[in-house]
Amino acid sequence: MAILTSEPDSGQNMFQLLKGSRTDRLLLLISLILIVAAWFVIQARIAGGVAVAEIYHDQLLLATYPLPQAGEAEHSFVVQGELGDAVVLLDQQGVRMTSSPCSSQHCVLSGAHRHAGDIIACVPNRILITVRGRSASGFDAIVE
Amino acid sequence: MLISRPPLAELEHKSRWIALLVLAIGLHIFEAALPNLGPWFKPGLANLVTLMALVLMGPRAALTLAIGRVVLGSFFIGTLFTPTFVISMAGGLAAAVLMIAAWRYIPGISLVGVSLLGALAHMLAQFVTVESLFIQQAVLYYALPPLLLLSCITGWINGALARYIAARLTHEL
Repeated sequence: MAILTSEPDSGQNMFQLLKGSRTDRLLLLISLILIVAAWFVIQARIAGGVAVAEIYHDQLLLATYPLPQAGEAEHSFVVQGELGDAVVLLDQQGVRMTSSPCSSQHCVLSGAHRHAGDIIACVPNRILITVRGRSASGFDAIVE
Repeated sequence: MLISRPPLAELEHKSRWIALLVLAIGLHIFEAALPNLGPWFKPGLANLVTLMALVLMGPRAALTLAIGRVVLGSFFIGTLFTPTFVISMAGGLAAAVLMIAAWRYIPGISLVGVSLLGALAHMLAQFVTVESLFIQQAVLYYALPPLLLLSCITGWINGALARYIAARLTHEL
């Protein structure tokens, strides 16, 4: 067990353990900078314009629908995937999968999505839904 | 006919590996049963056992444990040879390989840093696998940055837990 001689004594408190080594903290800093930079780049590319939901099956973009604004009616449609038909609902809360032939149902349980960059991915059924543009239910301003 | 008895050290090594494997399978099943914390997001507790195998038993034990845990864990939760299994295997293997490389080649790194890199590799490998095998759309990566930030948090905390457990085990072994 010589490999563990540099590890802390079990009596050390959790705060000291959470500090990590200088190398750990450097790795964390580099990771955070890269992730945040990537996030800004992605948001700059997709956050502009009207909020829309894009529906893909494999490599094919099936449809692009604007997310309903306040007062607009909801609508749903059927998307044919690898396993069968999935139902997608667009309402003021965003876009959601209301039914899917997959066994895990993670895509249905993930609920509504409305922020730019949100995705619903049903891997077994090979369906991907992404949201682009400014959030349909987001506030531009609050006035009295 | 006499059957030669294996050396005690070898038996101890194997029994320790099996104990870690059973623990990892249990945690794999526990994580699958957790409420949905977001797409592909899990706390990474099963990966913590791979890290423990690495520091206690070496790279080979860690790699075989990562493979064994995904195969047997998927068998028990009913996802063996499904897309979920392929994604889990890719994530588990990528995390194990990167943790082994980091532990061996990065000077000054502790289990916290190793765990951090493992968590990031796990998440990245899952996305690359889905993008290359199942849904060939680069837009999938739009969801990656927030999930990587969560991986940083879970990886860091799991690494601290691993340091604590490793310290306790070396005192008690």
